[in-house]
Amino acid sequence: MALLELEEVRAGYGPTSVLHGISLEVPEGGVVSLLGANGAGKTTTLRAITGGVRWTGDIRFRGHSLRRMATEEIVRRGIAHVPEGRGICTELTVDENLRLGSHLRRDGPEVKKDYDRVFEYFPVLKQRRRLSASTLSGGEQQMLALARAFLMRPKLMLLDEPSLGLAPIIVRSIFEIIRSINETSQVAVLLVEQNARIALDLSMTAYVLEVGRVAVHGAAAELRGDDSVRRSYLGY
Amino acid sequence: MQEFLQQLVGGLAIGGIFASLALALVLIYNAMGLVNFAQGEMAMLATFVAYALVSQGMSYWIAFPVTLVLAFAGGIGVQRLVIKPVERAPILTLVIITLGLATLVNGLAGFIWGYVPRSFPSPFSSDSVDLVGVFVSYRDLGVIAVSGIVLLAVYLLLQRTTVGLTLRAAAHHPEASRLLGVHVSWMLALGWGLASAVGAVSGIMVAPILLLEPNMMQSIIIYAFAAAVLGGIESPPGAVVGGLIVGVTINLAGAYLPFVGGDLQLAVGLAIIIGVLILKPNGLFGRAAVRRV
Repeated sequence: MALLELEEVRAGYGPTSVLHGISLEVPEGGVVSLLGANGAGKTTTLRAITGGVRWTGDIRFRGHSLRRMATEEIVRRGIAHVPEGRGICTELTVDENLRLGSHLRRDGPEVKKDYDRVFEYFPVLKQRRRLSASTLSGGEQQMLALARAFLMRPKLMLLDEPSLGLAPIIVRSIFEIIRSINETSQVAVLLVEQNARIALDLSMTAYVLEVGRVAVHGAAAELRGDDSVRRSYLGY
Repeated sequence: MQEFLQQLVGGLAIGGIFASLALALVLIYNAMGLVNFAQGEMAMLATFVAYALVSQGMSYWIAFPVTLVLAFAGGIGVQRLVIKPVERAPILTLVIITLGLATLVNGLAGFIWGYVPRSFPSPFSSDSVDLVGVFVSYRDLGVIAVSGIVLLAVYLLLQRTTVGLTLRAAAHHPEASRLLGVHVSWMLALGWGLASAVGAVSGIMVAPILLLEPNMMQSIIIYAFAAAVLGGIESPPGAVVGGLIVGVTINLAGAYLPFVGGDLQLAVGLAIIIGVLILKPNGLFGRAAVRRV
């Protein structure tokens, strides 16, 4: 049984339907990327998983359907969602944002270790702990969002375009950290990306969406090697 | 000089009362982007509850916390029953609903207790104490102490506890908070409870001065609006500083400006609201609203 299963998921906003029956799976501890052009339904797929948009079909997490569950409840079951725009609380300090990540945890000593890990990954966040999160640069905000998601100790992370608007060197270091979190903490990742090349490097499997449907899916290595797929869908 | 200092202390005492109600307004404003026009009336109702408890023979210092707990529960009840069903309604609908709530609570108190002003007990002696040549009444000192303790408690709750953190996050960033597992809807209810309890303190503190009757808070709420606007409507510390400034200002204006006297103090409060909105719309502690387009 996969960690996360989507079965024929249809969703939309009001009368506009965006997803026309998406099926996909994220295995325990796996990294899966969701690729495709703007408007293909990548963000909507993530929003459906955490209950941000109404859907039909079925979404199961660890075997239990998420149907009609509130966002808070879904998240508490072990899904950390770093949304489009990163969802940083700019009214709060960096430290307070991090504490929001760990506020539901009761395993004190483990939490402390995870904070040490976070500051190892992102030393800049330690320096800026007391500052308002609004003073961070785009890259630092992305780091904060990732750090906060890590502190939730999720089974699955949903990452929506972590590379958006960042300099290539920062993108590379952020993807290195995503890989390390995945490998050392057994956190599965469902990654939405425009930057197909870097996403495929990280992933085991990938799904390419085209106007609300899965156009192609398969092992990341195969998709990367297939010239026609690359040219038609991945744009490089 | 002595008289000036006495007026100053009196101003701080009344300012503490304004600060409590202003803080209640700010807590709700942060949670829903709207001033609760019923805040003063809810405080008045809570004061009547305290009055009823004390009349039943309950000691003042037991009736006081009991009233705050009841006001807290009442605030949560109002949010769940009245506000939550319409939380997605346009802002004007919500404004009308809080205005309606104010009228309803006012009428309810009048129906139960009538409109004859009643004296409300003060736990502090009306004697004065000589502080290096300045005579200060125990009542003023007591009101300053109680307001100070309550405001400090709210500050510590908001800034130093996990509940306070999730409350602030839910108020400012509901979508992001939900994704972090915060029960946003309940946090907003908690905000209403907290505001209602803090507002109740202002009612209980002002009742011995003004006499208790259903319209008691109608001038106080104007000063509280002035304080909240002066502090920058979104800022809890701003509400407290604003409250103290407004209290001292109207007290000094009443004492030293012959044309103001006791009759035009409310006009001074309104002048502060208008002046701030014209000269510094973001108040002392507010940030300029910046919107990316």
